[in-house]
Amino acid sequence: MNFKPNILSQKMNRRDSNFLKTIKSVVSLFGLMIAFMVSQPDWVAAQETGSVLIENGTVITIAGENLANTDVLVEDGIITEIGENLDVPRGVDRIDATDKFVMPGIIDAHSHLNGVDVNEATAPATPQVTMKESIDPNNVSIYAALAGGITSINLMHGSANVIGGRNATLKLRYGQDQQGLIFEDAPQTVKFALGENPMRVHGEGSGIHPSTRMGVEMVIREYFDAAIDYRRNRTEYLDAREEYNQAGEGTPPIPVAKNLRLEVIADIIDGNILVHCHSYRADEILMLTRIFDDYGVENYTFQHANEAFKVAPELAEQGAHASVFADWWAYKFEVYYSTAYNASILNENGVVVSINSDDDELIRHLNHEAAKTIRYGNTSENDALRMITLNPAIQLGIDEYVGSIEEGKHADITIWNGHPLSVYSVNEKTIIDGVVYFDRENDADDMRLDRAVSATENYKDTQSRAYQHSDGRDADACMQDVFILFDSHENRQAFHQEFHNHTK
Amino acid sequence: MKTISYISAVLIFSILLPNSILAQSPPAYALENVTIHHSDGNLIESGTIIWRDGVIVTVGSDAEIPFDAYSVIDGGDSLHVYPGFIDGLGTWGSPEPPENPEQPDDPGNPGYDRAGIQPDRSASDHLNASGSTITDVMKTGITTANLGLKGYMLAGQSDLFFLNGEETPDFLFKESTGYQFAFKGSAGGWGSRAYPTTTMGVMAQFRQLMYDAEALQDHIQYFADADGTIQPPKREEVLESLFPILNGVANLFASLDSPENFERLMILDEEFDLDVIIVSGKSIHFKFSELNEMDIPVLASIELPKKPDWMKDDDDDSEDEDPREPESKEEERYRERQAEAYKAAAENIRTLLDEGVTVGFTSIGLEADKLHEHLRGLKKEGGLTDDEILQLLTINTAEILDISQTLGQLEPGFNASFAVFNSPFLEEKAAVKMIISNGVIHEF
Repeated sequence: MNFKPNILSQKMNRRDSNFLKTIKSVVSLFGLMIAFMVSQPDWVAAQETGSVLIENGTVITIAGENLANTDVLVEDGIITEIGENLDVPRGVDRIDATDKFVMPGIIDAHSHLNGVDVNEATAPATPQVTMKESIDPNNVSIYAALAGGITSINLMHGSANVIGGRNATLKLRYGQDQQGLIFEDAPQTVKFALGENPMRVHGEGSGIHPSTRMGVEMVIREYFDAAIDYRRNRTEYLDAREEYNQAGEGTPPIPVAKNLRLEVIADIIDGNILVHCHSYRADEILMLTRIFDDYGVENYTFQHANEAFKVAPELAEQGAHASVFADWWAYKFEVYYSTAYNASILNENGVVVSINSDDDELIRHLNHEAAKTIRYGNTSENDALRMITLNPAIQLGIDEYVGSIEEGKHADITIWNGHPLSVYSVNEKTIIDGVVYFDRENDADDMRLDRAVSATENYKDTQSRAYQHSDGRDADACMQDVFILFDSHENRQAFHQEFHNHTK
Repeated sequence: MKTISYISAVLIFSILLPNSILAQSPPAYALENVTIHHSDGNLIESGTIIWRDGVIVTVGSDAEIPFDAYSVIDGGDSLHVYPGFIDGLGTWGSPEPPENPEQPDDPGNPGYDRAGIQPDRSASDHLNASGSTITDVMKTGITTANLGLKGYMLAGQSDLFFLNGEETPDFLFKESTGYQFAFKGSAGGWGSRAYPTTTMGVMAQFRQLMYDAEALQDHIQYFADADGTIQPPKREEVLESLFPILNGVANLFASLDSPENFERLMILDEEFDLDVIIVSGKSIHFKFSELNEMDIPVLASIELPKKPDWMKDDDDDSEDEDPREPESKEEERYRERQAEAYKAAAENIRTLLDEGVTVGFTSIGLEADKLHEHLRGLKKEGGLTDDEILQLLTINTAEILDISQTLGQLEPGFNASFAVFNSPFLEEKAAVKMIISNGVIHEF
């Protein structure tokens, strides 16, 4: 097909200044580079893998001792060999890691980084919705997180509902579509939320239950009981239908419609979906462990869990995990009783604990957050790094694939110019499935994907990220968009003022 | 075929001749000395079109006007006749959805209507053709429109009409051409609390509706199988209206613009085997290969994207003009990418056509009096030729709506719906002088 003469480029040429002409060659080279980098997604298959030999680095394996002057061989996205002076198979790229630190990609067990919507806040139980269908694959924040060494996140539903939506475990394969970001073999997880958030949204806001912490417990038990009844009825129906269809005679069954919400809850009870529960207070944390004991739910994680240190032995006994902040609290009433020793205390008590961000800025330096556990709680270096690698992998059920540098695991690896717990170190490369997704040496200024470029956005508005306009972190990222549901504008202002007064 | 129908018309005519011609035989109409534009781009200068009873009888340069012709319009070689434009999906004459809906007592179960789940609604039941709304549309050259309803997630079923001003409701051509679907939460958005309020909520609710419809359909069948000896099904109009989607016999007109929403729709398609027609699809060029592979047509918006302020010139709205030169290399590069993004979006339809995707036309979101401005923009910046734009408006849309045996072309045997302009339709001065809709002449 013939294209019409490009009116647009004529207009653009008219705008060319002499200054621009002098830098034209530089710009076009630069443009070519960007075009190459951002056009990569068009030909990268959804599960593209790479082969690479990372040579002569200090390998922080997490699973065992650190290994000096060691090579890591990656073939088709899998770590196939770790050792000294490995041979390079034909066609495998080499990365010189001499004087550098090679560690597993960082995993953030609590993020809303690239969620389109975060809260379907219309009912106390909405597990029928899934963040896998609310992914923004074009958000440049993904690239910023890659720069901080993040390879996987738990893209979570918000905390407006007691039983929230299902979460999405992602690999940050920036440039791919929604499906391409999903961590294929990760088990399904779901968000629960206790305490003030669901009470405010549904109790205060909608005038329905729950309006108390007792009510939160009631909601979970009611839905669990309903799901058990549902699964029994549905299974009986499906059996009867099959029998009726095969026989071609007899009394036909009365259909029991598939119920997506109750299907998910029944799967939680059956142990097929892992619970990640927003919580703060020790009493409500123990409350949920009792519920889960009653229904036989195992292998769950408390998110935030600022008071988990009070019940650390109990959590260890339950086998419950905790994913906490290094030192963030006092942004609402139930989060006042907190300590920077939380992670270290939990760790000492044998709880699998991770440090998370829940924040688009902090996700870029989770290594610093992990380092705080050493500064405060005297946690060992390896345990501190484990809190942002292997432990979150365990909590997300993906530790057989990622979280440590071991033969057979996915090549999700970061390479640092110094020890990753030092504030002077920076991440130089972030590798996922053996493919380099962030490379500081080829870090163009504008890493937006073509799909994300807006023709009408004002350049001045792009000079900073949203978090730079606030005093720091969001008040409560889990409650994204939902304040409007339970409070007047004036009250919200007062709430924010209170938050800022307490955090300054 | 053409010859046969012509001969039979003549035969029938001669049999009827002894009796009163005017009372018993549908009269013929003709346009003569006009430039006839076929949808494939072929031209007939000083041509004649003859139609009778809403069907084209003759199209040609040397056609003879029948002696019983009731009305013959002489174009004096200054009129241009095109196949009537077809609006693949429009909401002309649709009632407005409620603006400030009430907050439901139970936000998680707001009821189907409140949730915007109204697949049982049919456009013809709600069409308000009073006033000049439909006539204004006819003045753009549109003679046939697939009329849908304004609404939310499942707004209703569309019906195909020949446009005839206030009498349009009497000219239903095809009933229930499909169901409208959009990734739109309930009315009132976030603050008004009625499930679903999010895209993921719409996805989940669509699934639940299909599950519930399936159970009801099975129950109705079982009840019949058992001769009424089991518990009767609780009938529910909304769910019953979804049976055709469930059974794969109805089109789903899915309004979406982003490649991400297309990916979401494909998840639903995979689960429920939908017959999808994309509506609007402003950035859908990113998905050309999937559209092509899966043979999914697009009723495309003809609206160009907005320009960045710095790109606007005197032709545009000068208030927003930003004549500033870029202040840095970074800003220069930023503008380059904006220009690329603008061009790619403006050439959305161009890209789709080049990649073999079937593209038709929808008026959704547009004002009737701006339609031709959009079409000229499509020619100027969208990289489309006159012929391609004409095909979008006629034969392509007819194909997508499965009416291409009847509409979209000026050929004998086709429906007599055409638009008559005073000049080629994409010229600035072009105006519709009259349309013929299902054989009925409307002069403006």
